[in-house]
This record gives sequence, C-alpha cells and structure tokens, in this order.
Amino acid sequence: MSDPSSLSAAHPPEQGVLRRLVAKPEFGPLVLLVAMILVFTVINPTFLSLNNIGNALTFTVELGLIALAMTLLMTAGEFDLSVGSVFGFAPVVMWAFFNAGLMPLPAAFVVAMLIALAIGLFSGLFVTRLGIPSFLVTLGMLLVVRGTALWLTSGFPQRTWDAGEQWLAELLVGDFYVGGLRVYMSLIWFVILAVIFHQFLTRTRFGNWIQATGGNPGAARNRGVPIQRVKVILFMLSAAMAALAGIISSIRVSAANPNSGTGYELEVIAMVVIGGTVLTGGRGTIIGTVIGVLILRLMRNGIVLIGVPGLAYNIFIGAIILGMMALHAALERRHNAGT
Amino acid sequence: MSDHSPVETLVEMRHIEKSYGRVHALRDVNLTIRKGEIVGLLGDNGAGKSTLIKVLSGAVPYSSGEIRIKGRPVAMTSTNDAIAAGIETIYQDSALVPQLSIARNLFLGRELTTGRLGRLDLDRMNEVAAELLKRVGISKNIPPTTPIGSLSGGERQAVAIARAMYFDSDLIILDEPTNNLGVAETQGVLRFVREARDTGHSCIFIAHNIHHVFQVVDRMVVMRRGTVVADDLSPKTSSIQDVEDVITGDHIHV
Ligand SMILES: Nc1ncnc2c1ncn2[C@@H]1O[C@H](COP(=O)(O)OP(=O)(O)O)[C@@H](O)[C@H]1O
Ligand SMILES: [Mg+2]
Repeated sequence: MSDPSSLSAAHPPEQGVLRRLVAKPEFGPLVLLVAMILVFTVINPTFLSLNNIGNALTFTVELGLIALAMTLLMTAGEFDLSVGSVFGFAPVVMWAFFNAGLMPLPAAFVVAMLIALAIGLFSGLFVTRLGIPSFLVTLGMLLVVRGTALWLTSGFPQRTWDAGEQWLAELLVGDFYVGGLRVYMSLIWFVILAVIFHQFLTRTRFGNWIQATGGNPGAARNRGVPIQRVKVILFMLSAAMAALAGIISSIRVSAANPNSGTGYELEVIAMVVIGGTVLTGGRGTIIGTVIGVLILRLMRNGIVLIGVPGLAYNIFIGAIILGMMALHAALERRHNAGT
Repeated sequence: MSDHSPVETLVEMRHIEKSYGRVHALRDVNLTIRKGEIVGLLGDNGAGKSTLIKVLSGAVPYSSGEIRIKGRPVAMTSTNDAIAAGIETIYQDSALVPQLSIARNLFLGRELTTGRLGRLDLDRMNEVAAELLKRVGISKNIPPTTPIGSLSGGERQAVAIARAMYFDSDLIILDEPTNNLGVAETQGVLRFVREARDTGHSCIFIAHNIHHVFQVVDRMVVMRRGTVVADDLSPKTSSIQDVEDVITGDHIHV
C-alpha cells in the first residue's frame, strides 16, 4: 500500500469495449431479445409485421409502467406484491365515483390516485417503521386491497362506456397512426416515463440514494441518507404506477373488473429480474427492465404465432427466469474471481 | 482532564450510560478527545468500544449523559447530528456501498448537483474523486467510476479515509479498520491515519491488534465491561504487556 504502483496492478487501464459491454447487466437480456425476434421471424415472418408489433406494444405498457416503478423499489431492496390488486382496485374506485355522479372523471382519477398513494404510504411505513419484510406486508396488502375491491363491487365489473368522450381517456389511451403503425398514447407515456425513470435512477441525487439504500443500508444511513423515506416514497410510487396502469387498462378494455390484475405482481417482478435488476437490492437498471418487458411481451405474442399453444407460455417464462438467473450468477462469479 | 481549555478540547462525553434491554453496555463513561490527537480505544470483545463510538456518531441513542463538541452541547440523536458536528465514522463493513462507484461513494449523502432537480454533477464528482485518489496514492489506473466492490480491502479503507479528509471532518473514527487486511495494506491504513493527524484531524482508532495501535496513537483509552478503566496510557511510557494487563484486568492483582 505504501507503493502506489503495487495497488494498481490488479486494475488494467482499459478493460476493452467488448468486455465492458458483456459485463453490463443488460447484455444477457438484450442478446435473448434479439435471438427471440430472429427465431420467431424466421419461423413466421408476420411476427415482424407492423400490425403485430403495434399490437404487442400496446399491451406491453400496462405491466411495463408497473415494472418501471418496481425496478426502483427493488433497487432499494424491497418489492411490492400488492401492485396487481391496486391495478384492479384503482379503476374500480374511479369508475364507481364517476358513475355515481359524485364527481367528474378527472376528479375521480385524482381521488383514485390519492388512495393508491395512501396504500403505498401504508405499506412503506409498515416495512420501515415496524421492520417487517416487504414480502409479508405487501402480501397482506394484496389481500386487503383485492378484498376491498370485491366487497365494494360485490364482484361485479364497473361500467366504463361513458369514457369515449372524455379528454382524460383520450390523453391516456387515445391512438394515432405513424405511417401504417397504430400508436396508442399509453405507449408514448411508457416511453416518456422510462426515459425519466432512467435519468432519475442514474443521474440524480435521489437515484444515488436508491442504489445506496439497497446496496448497503448501514453505509447509506451513516452518510445521512434517509433510507426509510426513500423506501416509503418508492412504495408510494409503485402503488401510484399500478393504479395508473389499471386505469389505462380499464379504459382500453372498457371494463373495470375488481378481479383484474390478478397475478400481475409476479409477471412484473419477472420482467424486472430478467432485465438484470437484483432482487436483493443495490443494482437496478431501467434499460434492462424495458428489455425484460419486451421479452415477456414478445414471447407471449411469438409463441402463439409460431404455433405453440398459448397455455405453454408460463413454461417459457419460467425457463427464461431460471436461465437468466444462472447467467447473472455466472457473470457475478467470474467478475468476483477476476478481482 | 479538566485543565484543558475548551479550545483544545474537541469532544467531551460525560457520564454516558447506555443499555440494550438488560445489557448495560456503557456505565458512566467519560471520554475527552483533544484537537489533533490520535486516541487508541482498546478493550476486549464486548467491552463497549463499538457502542461508545456509535453513541458518539449518532448511530444508537444513549440512555443518559452529555456530549459536547468544541464546548457546545450536541443532542446527537441522528447520524446527521454527528456529520454536522464534523464527526466522520468509518465502520468496518458499513462504510461504503459496493455497487456504487468510488466517486458516488465519496459524495454519498453530499452529492454535487447542478440545477434544482437534484441532477448529479457527475463530471465534477469524478474529477474531484480522481484528484483525491491521487492524493492518497491509489490513483494509478483506478478510474473514479470503478465500483467499490472491485477494490481490495485496503483500497476501500483508503477511499473511506480520503472521504473523511476531503470533507474536513474534525474527528475521524475508525472501528477496526485493519481487520482482514494484509501487512502492506495495514501499513497503508496506518499511514493514512498519521496523514489525517498531520493535516489537523483528530482520530479515534479501534483495533484488535495492539501492535497496530502502538504504531500510530498518541494516547490509549482502555474499556472493560462498559467502563473506561484507563484513559491516559501512552505508547511511549507503557509497554504492550502493561496495556494488555489493563485490558484483561490483570494489573489489579499485581
Ligand atoms: N444491538 C445490540 N443489542 C444488544 N446488545 C448489544 C448490541 N450491540 C452490542 N451489544 C452488547 O453490548 C456490549 C458491548 O458491545 P460492543 O460495544 O459491540 O463491544 P466491543 O465493540 O467492545 O466488542 C456487549 O455485551 C454486546 O453483547
Ligand atoms: Mg466492536
């Protein structure tokens, strides 16, 4: 240590562009995505048609919005199992208020979002103040929220067909054509939010705190980082994005079903981890999550096009998760061995 | 102790008590740290060293007592109180975030930003970090964007100490900084500690290895079962054997 040059021996100046690219957590998922597109297109060329891509992208965004927020939450070392139930609950609240004539649609939207934020706040406080693992807290929250949605509606979907003339509905799920490609507003929202979330995580002070909170909470706390506040804010963000996604979905399919979103929490977490974000916190990537979202979406779409029964979808997703985890573990080991 | 004027006295802890449930970890502890001195804090496992410095750095609440920094009472209810009072604590395993870069670790909690949205000024952070790495002698070929996780233990300690020096903390506390380090790396850490003192910082140095402590400190404080049993041992006038006897309590029976 007294000889500076001896310290540097382990650190060659340039690792080489290729090696650095391979070391990135997004590399594996990106290769898989490209390979998938190639295989599907070779087997069935309609896979790459504008129509099919447009369709696939439309349905992408609703889960994708939740995945963006989940990426930040998981980077901070927590996760949220209640997003699927909030996805179902928020639109039920919004349409119930609107249909009862209590308030105009934008006001009902704001109320639904505020309730979602309150749900996130509650989960966050439970996890941080009582020190209960987020798995248990958000599992409880999942049941409470889903149960409330079912109880309030007696299990019946809420009417949403007055949505057509609403500017809010236009803004959230309206569509337009770019050349031959039909683009939905929700896709635009997803792209804008993905860019913002990426910048937020990698380029801001709060993003630095998110990574530190998940990476080494003790060190973050010792540096004066408010790790509890960081987590609470991210739980609120996650619930808000789940609510927004649920509302967009309810307008698109013209139904607010208290049961919708069931099981989405696992699919969202799958998207995030396939993209390279670590379940235990500290390392997260929005770019990876966007790739993960596309992988799951195109897989669902592609296996049907190439004639594999849709019911087999979960087999592929499960295999991808296992394969990706093995790959990340192998890269991690090699990385550690190299230092 | 009391004949030192408050100008020379940096830290004064008076009658500090701390219990973890039934465990009485600190009993009526008094500790004074003067400006520009390196104090070795010694004691057997469980003597209360870590607890004492956690109290001093706002990481755990104390039951009663008083803490003064430069003569002013400080509540020390959070780590932010300690940071504001110029106290920087380097814990062995929770000093740095392995996934973050050297530069991001150096500025964690005190990030340099541009504009109002909390946008990081990464260019300037990396620039300053590179400068700092050069100053502590680990600059060569280690870019400031390197994740901490790929540094050696000694390099990590160097980064943590460099951070404390950069932010000009009055007091740098090191809890077992030489554990798990090789001989050369240990020498490096000891060199940083001396450098920190030479540039006017005070240090509290906790280490298991008495030889390390003897090499670097001006004064030694010994704790046993939650109390301070000696606070003015000097490596110049005491032998290692003397100090070991105080640590174990053997000197009482001699
Ligand atoms: N978080 C804690 N909860 C309960 N007891 C603790 C805790 N931390 C330390 N102690 C107890 O306090 C005493 C002092 O511990 P510590 O300050 O870590 O000693 P040292 O650092 O000198 O080895 C020990 O008896 C230890 O078991
Ligand atoms: Mg200790």
